[in-house]
Amino acid sequence: MTRLTLGEIRHCLEGTIPAVIATVAADGTPNVAYISQACYADEGHVALSFQFFNKTRANILANPYANLMVLHPQTVQFYRLHLRYVRTETEGPLFESMKAQLAGIASHTGMANVFKLLGSDIYAVQEIEAVEGSPLPTPPPRYSMLSAVRRCSEQLSRSTSLDEVLNAILATLTDWMGVQHAMVLMADPVSQRLYTVASCGYATSGVGSEIGLGQGVIGVAARERTPVRIQHMATAYLYSSTIRSSLQASAPDFAPEVDIPYPGLPAPHSQLAVPIVSAGRLLGVVFVESPHDMQFGFEDEDVLVAMAGHLGAAIDLIQSATEPLEAMATDLPAPQAQGAALHIRHYPANDSIFIGDDYLIKGVAGAIFWKLVRNFVEHGRTAFSNRELRLDTDLGLPDVTDNLEARLLLLQRRLNEHGSLVRIEKTGRGRFQLVVQRPLTLQEVS
Amino acid sequence: MTTPLLSAEMIAMVQGGVSTIVSSCDAALRPSIMRAMASTITADGRLVTVYLARKQSRQLLQDIAASGRLAVVFSQPSSNRTLQLKTRQVRSRKTTAADQAIVQRYLAAMEWELTQVHIPPVLTRVMLAHDLDDLVAVEFEFQEAFDQTPGPNAGAPIGAVRAGEAT
Repeated sequence: MTRLTLGEIRHCLEGTIPAVIATVAADGTPNVAYISQACYADEGHVALSFQFFNKTRANILANPYANLMVLHPQTVQFYRLHLRYVRTETEGPLFESMKAQLAGIASHTGMANVFKLLGSDIYAVQEIEAVEGSPLPTPPPRYSMLSAVRRCSEQLSRSTSLDEVLNAILATLTDWMGVQHAMVLMADPVSQRLYTVASCGYATSGVGSEIGLGQGVIGVAARERTPVRIQHMATAYLYSSTIRSSLQASAPDFAPEVDIPYPGLPAPHSQLAVPIVSAGRLLGVVFVESPHDMQFGFEDEDVLVAMAGHLGAAIDLIQSATEPLEAMATDLPAPQAQGAALHIRHYPANDSIFIGDDYLIKGVAGAIFWKLVRNFVEHGRTAFSNRELRLDTDLGLPDVTDNLEARLLLLQRRLNEHGSLVRIEKTGRGRFQLVVQRPLTLQEVS
Repeated sequence: MTTPLLSAEMIAMVQGGVSTIVSSCDAALRPSIMRAMASTITADGRLVTVYLARKQSRQLLQDIAASGRLAVVFSQPSSNRTLQLKTRQVRSRKTTAADQAIVQRYLAAMEWELTQVHIPPVLTRVMLAHDLDDLVAVEFEFQEAFDQTPGPNAGAPIGAVRAGEAT
C-alpha cells in the first residue's frame, strides 16, 4: 500500500466536520477532545486551534503524541493522523488566517463569544491511516482548475495595460470559476491602505473605496501576506465592524470627511482574500465573496494564489515598461470646452477633489487630477505622460513602487463613473489625454 | 469504587444517541481513537456501552484489552453539549440480538441529530455503516466524568459520589 500524503486528504482539513483528538496524560489516562480547527499547514504538518488551557493542552506538553481522527466530508472516509506536537505559534500568517477562519466557525456554531484563538499548535504528521469503511466515490470538481489558470495566464499575457490585466482577472473569476462577487485592491505603501481599482457583481463598483491594513479579511490578508479564507459568516470580520475606528482617523479635521462606500456584500458567508505579491512586495489583494456558506475551498485558494502570482508579475511588468519622456500631441480631436463651467475644488490637506458638489477622489490620484486640470486651465495642455507625473515630486508618489498605473486607472474609472464631462483617455504606452467638455473653474480650499 | 453522578439531562442526552468517540492508549502512552458505531447508558446513568467496529478499531481494542483504560466523549452536534467519561476497567463482549435494536435506534437518532447541522442522512448512514457481527460491545462504569461543553467551564469535573449514596 502506498503511503497517504496530507495533500491527498486535504478535504478533511477544511473544517466541515470537526476533528477529534486523543492524547494521553503522563499517568496513562487517555483523553478525547473536539478540535474546532484542524488545518493543513504544509505537506508534513497540521495546525490545530488552541483555544483553551484544557486537558489536551496539558497532555501534549507532557507527552507530545496525539491521534487525530478526521472525516472526508464528501466520501465519508475516516482517517487517523498519528501526530507529534512540535510548537505553538501565536502570531504570523498561519495564526492570523486560522484566527479569521475560526471567527467564521464560531459565528456559525453559535460560539462567537466563546471561541478565541490563543495559538496555532503545529504537529508533525508521522503517519496517515485510512480507516476501513465503505466510502462514497469522490465527486468531480466544480470546474477545471488548471483550465481556469491557463485561461487567466493567456489573457494576462495578451494584456498591454493595467486595465486589461484587471479585466483578465475578473473575467477568469466570473467565466471560469463561477465567482459572482469579486474585487481587486491595490496597496498604497505610504498610507498603509488598500484602494479598490476593479470589481464585479456589486450594485456600485466601489472603485476608490479604501480599507486599512489589518481590517477584515482583505486587510488581514494584506498585512500578513497570506490567503485568508472564511467558510461561514464571521461577524468579527465584517467590514461594518472593522471600519468604524479607521474612518475617524482617516482625515485631518480641516479636510472634508469623504469616503467612497465599500461595495462588498452586507452579509457575506464565504470570503477569500489572496495577497498580490511581486518580488517580495505587497501590491494588493484579490478578493472574492459569496452570500452562501462554504463556497471557496482550498482548491479555489490554490487557483487564486496562482492567478495572483501572475497578476503581480504582470502589474510590475507594465509598471516598468519603457515610457516615453515627453507627452506627445495625438490625433484625437480635442473637443471644444463649452457650456456652463464645471467648478472643481481641491483640498490640499488630503488632496480631495470635488467636481461641483460631488466628491471625486483623494490622495495621490486627487493630486494628479489637480495637476492635470491646472495645466489645462493655465496652459491649455491636454496631452500628458506617465513619466512627467513620476518625476513630479509634489505628487507624493513613493520612489520605487509608485503604482502610478493603478492610480491613473483609479482616476480614469472614477471620472467615468462621475460622467463624461472630464475624462482621461490613454493615447499610447505611458501617455494619456485629458478630455474636457466644459470650461473649468478651479478653487484651492485651504 | 466511586461513580460520579450524572444529571438527568446528561443521561437523557447519552440515551438519546449522540456522537461517541472512544480512546485508549498503549503501554508507550501512544493514544488510539475511533468513533463508536453506537452507544447507550442505563437509566440510572451508571453503566455505559459503546459499540466499536473491529476492523476499524484494531489498535484501540488491543489497547483497551491490555490497559482497561478508556476515555469516551459524547457530544450533541446541535447543542455542542459534550460529556467525557473515563474508566480504568472495561468488559468487552460480542454483540447479541438484543444489541441490534440499540444500534438501529442509535443510527436513527444520529441521522436526526446530524440533519440539524446540515449533514444529510445518507452521509450519516455511510459514516456509521458496519456489520453487526463485526461489532464489539465495550461496557464500563466510569470513575471520572467531565463537562466538556465548549466555554469557560469546559473540562470541569462532575462531582463524584460514593455508589449507593445517590438518591
